[in-house]
Amino acid sequence: MSAGSEVEQIRLAAAGDRAAQAALVHRHMPVIFRVSYRMLQDRAEAEDVTQETFLRVWKKLADWEPRASFSSWACTIALNLSRDRLRKKKPLLMDELPEQMDHGQKPDEALASDQAIARIEEQIAGLPERQREALSLCALEGMGNKEAAEAMGVTVHALEGLLGRARRSLRVSLSAERDQ
Amino acid sequence: MMKASEDRVFELIAAYGAEPGAWPEDERDAAKATLAEFPERFADALAKAKALDLVMFNETVPEPDSDLAKRILAAAPQAPRQAGSFASLLKWRLPGRQWPAGATLASLMIGLVSGYAYAGNVTSAEFETADEFYVGLFEEADATSIDWLDEGIAE
Repeated sequence: MSAGSEVEQIRLAAAGDRAAQAALVHRHMPVIFRVSYRMLQDRAEAEDVTQETFLRVWKKLADWEPRASFSSWACTIALNLSRDRLRKKKPLLMDELPEQMDHGQKPDEALASDQAIARIEEQIAGLPERQREALSLCALEGMGNKEAAEAMGVTVHALEGLLGRARRSLRVSLSAERDQ
Repeated sequence: MMKASEDRVFELIAAYGAEPGAWPEDERDAAKATLAEFPERFADALAKAKALDLVMFNETVPEPDSDLAKRILAAAPQAPRQAGSFASLLKWRLPGRQWPAGATLASLMIGLVSGYAYAGNVTSAEFETADEFYVGLFEEADATSIDWLDEGIAE
C-alpha cells in the first residue's frame, strides 16, 4: 500500500469508517500480536497487549500525522506495553545479562537440524529484551531498518548492533545445543 | 556503480543475514556489487548467516483468538452522529458553513428600519413617556390578538 493511500485510510478510520478500520486491523494486528508474543511468550498477554495497542491507536488516530509509518507507530506502542509487563514480571535488567561468547564452532552445520528449528523459539525468547525486539521487527517481520529503529527509539547504527549480537547469540546457543 | 567496503558488507551480513533483500535498500546495490567482485571472501559469513536465516524462518507463533479483531473493532471510533433536524434544516437552507455576513447585516438593517418606522408612528401621536409607549405597544398587540380570536369563534 502506498503512503498516500494509507494516510487516506487512516483518515477514514479516524472518522469512523468501519471498512477502513477493519482494513487497518486486518493488516497490522497480526504483526503487533507476533511482536508482542515474542516479547511476552504468552498468548493471552500478547492478545491483551494487541488490544490495548489498538485502544491507544483509536484514541490518537485523529491526531496521527504521517511523520512515521503507521506500523512503526503501532509497534512502538506494543513494544512499550510489552516492556511494561516484563518490568512488572521481572525487575531484573535483562539487557545487562552477559552474552554468550562465540567459541568458533561451526553453527552452519549445527543449525540445519530439525532439533534446532524446534528450539529456535526458546532461543529467541532467551535473548536480551532489546535484541529480541530488533530481531522480531527486522528479521522476523521484515520491517525496514529505519522503520524498526524508529519503532524502537534507537539509531539505525544501534539497531544493527543489536541485530548482530542477537544473531551471534542464536548461532552460539544452537551450536552449543548440538554439541551437548 | 558505487561499491560498499568489505567491512560494511560483513556488517550487513552480520546484522541482516545472508539475503540481500533484507539489507537496507539504500545500500543493497553497492553491497551486492562488492559481493559479486569477491564472492570467496564472504562465502563463510554468508553460509553461517544463511543457516540461521533458515532456522528463524521456521519459527512458529500461535494465532491470536479469532475474536480478537472483533473486540478491537468494537472499541474503534464511531462515525459522528447525524446532526439534529434544526441543524440539518439550517445546512439545507444555507449552503455555506457559516451564516453569510451580508445576510446578517441585511437582517439587522431591516429590523432597525422597520422598528424605527413603526415606533415613530405610534409615539408621535399618542404617548408622552417611554413607559406609555411600551404599554401602548402591548395593548395594541393584545387588541389585535383578541380581534383575531373573536373572528375565529364567530366562524
